[in-house]
Amino acid sequence: MTQTSKSSKAKRGLSLLAGLGLALAASQPALAQTGKTYAFPGIPDNSVEKFGGPQGVHNWVESLFYYIMLDNRINWIFSEFGNVERQIMLNTQLEQMVLGGNVEYQGASMAAAHADLGITMGQFNAVVEAAYSACERVHTPYHTCNQLIAALAPFTFDIVTR
Amino acid sequence: MTGFREGSLRRWLGGAAVSAALLASTSASAEWFNSDKVFLTGGVVTTDGSGGGGITPWATISGYGTRDGINGGLHYTWVYLPDYTLNSYGVTVGFFDRLELSYTNSVLPTGGTFDTVGLAVSALGGAGTGIEPWNTTIKMDVFGAKLRLFGDAVYNSHSLIPQVAIGGFYKKNRNAALLETLQAADDTDWEAYVSATKIFFPVSTLINVTARYTSANQIGLTGFGGPDGNDKEVRLEGSIAYLLNKQFAIGGEYQQHGDNLDNKSVKLGALDLTGLTGLLGGLGNSLTQLEESDWYDLFFAYAPSKNFSMTFAYAMLGNITLTPDQSGFYLSLHATF
Repeated sequence: MTQTSKSSKAKRGLSLLAGLGLALAASQPALAQTGKTYAFPGIPDNSVEKFGGPQGVHNWVESLFYYIMLDNRINWIFSEFGNVERQIMLNTQLEQMVLGGNVEYQGASMAAAHADLGITMGQFNAVVEAAYSACERVHTPYHTCNQLIAALAPFTFDIVTR
Repeated sequence: MTGFREGSLRRWLGGAAVSAALLASTSASAEWFNSDKVFLTGGVVTTDGSGGGGITPWATISGYGTRDGINGGLHYTWVYLPDYTLNSYGVTVGFFDRLELSYTNSVLPTGGTFDTVGLAVSALGGAGTGIEPWNTTIKMDVFGAKLRLFGDAVYNSHSLIPQVAIGGFYKKNRNAALLETLQAADDTDWEAYVSATKIFFPVSTLINVTARYTSANQIGLTGFGGPDGNDKEVRLEGSIAYLLNKQFAIGGEYQQHGDNLDNKSVKLGALDLTGLTGLLGGLGNSLTQLEESDWYDLFFAYAPSKNFSMTFAYAMLGNITLTPDQSGFYLSLHATF
């Protein structure tokens, strides 16, 4: 009787610890990412291919910036703090990498790149809306588009600092 | 007199909530107002008035406000069942993606068996049962509050931690006489719940699990508790939604119900007919309450713009008090500012 209650107590203690561990892991600042994003359930291996290969991803990024630069809520941030052509180049690398493509991303980590910009959740969401519009523009199906959303979602916590 | 005072309090609270919503939406102070959540991520509104699915509250805060502002909405829900029609309308306000306050007024006109019972009771000279022959109506006020504790249902795709919120409802049913007839213990009570919600983007699916601590019969429309007392218990609810695209979602829901009034007779005046209904023939069957069924629904939600969403559902509510097989059409309209 005592043993059972002890072991169940120990189990509860362990699961509490595991929960804390998970919570801590979630609150750690992400290191500069070097490969495919971990998501649950996993992002399929053929996601870059489904996006139309490297050229398809590039087309998507072009469309993304087209919609971003038309969005008066956020276009000023992009024109003020970066060279749009360079951002398109770096994003084409980044998007392939997080989807599992064998591409080296040469830019700064998301946390470093956005640290001083004071980006709000609303501004970040505006980019997500542009991302969905871009998928529609290049005829990437919604379900495939969500693989990229899943792959980019964790950057929210690096990019949104306000 | 008391009724009058309660009425004006209710009107005042409803008015205050509407003013708050209007203030939040029309105020020129752009710093407070916010509608920057992504499409449909504020969810729709439940029959209890909280942000969620159709019947189950989610951990999401209703409206399109992010953590930087306030947003709110108005809703109207219509459920058309063989013997009942539920009309509910109300207001929901979300504060900084953290706190949600809601008020909903539910009006449930009954028909069918209730008409039969009402006629029989009138013929037998009964009075004060709350069942009129043709126009028995149940009205309920629902005040809700929800607090998001932790987690991000949308962007936390790299971990399994869901968005978690706790919440509660204060429900006041205004047909006390009918509830006494049905042998419910109380006409006014509170419920508490904890909800965990998460979108799994790789499979375009949202999952919500809710545990609700309650003693409600038919979400409180037929009161709380039964002749054996008013004891709360934990009941489970769940929603699953598949996102067809950024504006459409389809899915289903489940809500566990209790058994406080199962097989209980209706009580006419001081007379409990539980032991006698067998002797009363056909009328007797009409006077015994059926086993309360769990609720299910299959829904289709469409948000043509961020300011408006429509939810169509087939609601399978099973046995409701005296009447079996209550399945029907559910429509909910939600306007957000």
